[in-house]
Amino acid sequence: MKLYRSLIYRELMLTRKRFILMLILFLLLALLMMTPLILVFVFKPVEGEESPLEMIPLFVGIVALTGGFMAGTNNGLQKADISSGWKRYSFVLPPTAKQQALSDLLTKLCYILFFGLLSLAFEFVYTAAADYSNFGIMLYIYMLNIYLGAVCAVMLVDIAYSYIMMFAKYKTKLKLIGTLAFVGAGVVLRVFDLFPGMNNDDKSAKDGAMISQEMVNKFDTILCSKKTLLCISAVFVVLCILFFLAMWRSHERREP
Amino acid sequence: MNYYDNAVEIKGVTKKYDGFTLDNISFDIPKGCIMGFIGQNGAGKTTTIRSLLHITDINDGEIKLLGLDHIKDENAIKKRIAVVFDELPFHDVFNAKDMARIFEGMYPEWDNAAYLNYIERFQLPQKKRIGQFSKGMKMKLQIACALSHNAELLVMDEATTGLDPVVRDEILHIFMEYLQNGERSILMSSHITSDLEKIADMVTFIDKGRILLTGYKDEIVERHGILKCSKDKLAEIDAEDIVSIRTNNFGAEIMVNDRENAGYKYRDCVIDPANLDDIMLYYVHRDAKEWS
Repeated sequence: MKLYRSLIYRELMLTRKRFILMLILFLLLALLMMTPLILVFVFKPVEGEESPLEMIPLFVGIVALTGGFMAGTNNGLQKADISSGWKRYSFVLPPTAKQQALSDLLTKLCYILFFGLLSLAFEFVYTAAADYSNFGIMLYIYMLNIYLGAVCAVMLVDIAYSYIMMFAKYKTKLKLIGTLAFVGAGVVLRVFDLFPGMNNDDKSAKDGAMISQEMVNKFDTILCSKKTLLCISAVFVVLCILFFLAMWRSHERREP
Repeated sequence: MNYYDNAVEIKGVTKKYDGFTLDNISFDIPKGCIMGFIGQNGAGKTTTIRSLLHITDINDGEIKLLGLDHIKDENAIKKRIAVVFDELPFHDVFNAKDMARIFEGMYPEWDNAAYLNYIERFQLPQKKRIGQFSKGMKMKLQIACALSHNAELLVMDEATTGLDPVVRDEILHIFMEYLQNGERSILMSSHITSDLEKIADMVTFIDKGRILLTGYKDEIVERHGILKCSKDKLAEIDAEDIVSIRTNNFGAEIMVNDRENAGYKYRDCVIDPANLDDIMLYYVHRDAKEWS
């Protein structure tokens, strides 16, 4: 336990700058999403579809999506360890490759948990303010699905990036491998069709909209489903295992 | 804790790179000894150290640290050794206090009081970021970390290179103190032979991936000598006595590998004692035999 505390402490300390920056961005976005709500209370409420209160699910989705991306993204630790020489030094330290990989995963899970809770807190505020209590747990499932989905998508890219970064052992190779890793991560995005704005035009609705109302409703049903949550959770667990394996391999791999 | 006679045992280790081979090297470091590992840049010192620490895999041979196999018993070994590299491998954003927090969980025998004592002794600030440290301060911090978990074997790769003589002397003094209980050993690679002359009990000399000399420093230094003679006299010197010959306008200086014997054989020549620097220099030119 003491060992993991040390390892995680080191990783959190090293990533705190990045974390603070992400936190500020996240809070700014979340607060921005709150402005329409505040305006509703300050000024005369607008009823019907025009009401900002109707937009709450969209706000929740955007906040969860942003939180998920920030929590799952690469924290730059591998790169920092290679350029400082810690990567080489870690070979002569008592923690095993498995213990180091587990601490990498636990650090990532800390961020995922933190941003997850933060997204939940904002959702709570939005729904409380707009009285969405009749939706019950459904809106929370919706938010969790979006959050975990975003985390999974970014983690998939991070695993690819981390795996390629494993081959960089020296500062001199870092730039080249970093570029390759960036390209590799891009390929993963492309293969899994995760690039934003890359939807096929043929699939657009007849009325010219990018996505038809039917599609939106179907999408909503999927996002609010408990089954989806189970599936995404399973994918998340698999990705955590894959991340652990990639990091384990990375810590185990010796220099040429 | 296992019993062992040699802190390090290297037998027939070969590591092949494109353009360089660490060729079948063997040497031991008895428990309680300081071994100076000398050789010019690119001779194979760092490769040897990386091999014995299992930073890189070897192609052939056997390495034992503290009587344990360097791969099979890697986890047990790492708790009992300390390593100091030529450059500080800690992140710039940390301070000395952070490093204590990081290491205390990693080493079961981490001694925070000893660490703080070294920090105080080295006059290192506890809260200043490592990125703002001078080179000497960085090396001192790395040494403080290395000496604070009761390591039985201290491995140093060019740790004193680039430091001023005052700091080097201070560090060497600390190493001497550290060895006082007779249970600890040091492997110190350096091309600054004057440091090793001061503290090493044993010396291993490596060149082009091969071990040329290994043994007790005093014996090696006593065995070698520099025979001074005229160029005409050169022909009378047996080839088997010569390591290499340095010629100049006034005559020749010959490194002999058996000073006592050479003293009897060449009574009319002056034989000066050699130091580690001379030995290294003459051995490096052994293939050319004659150089100036």
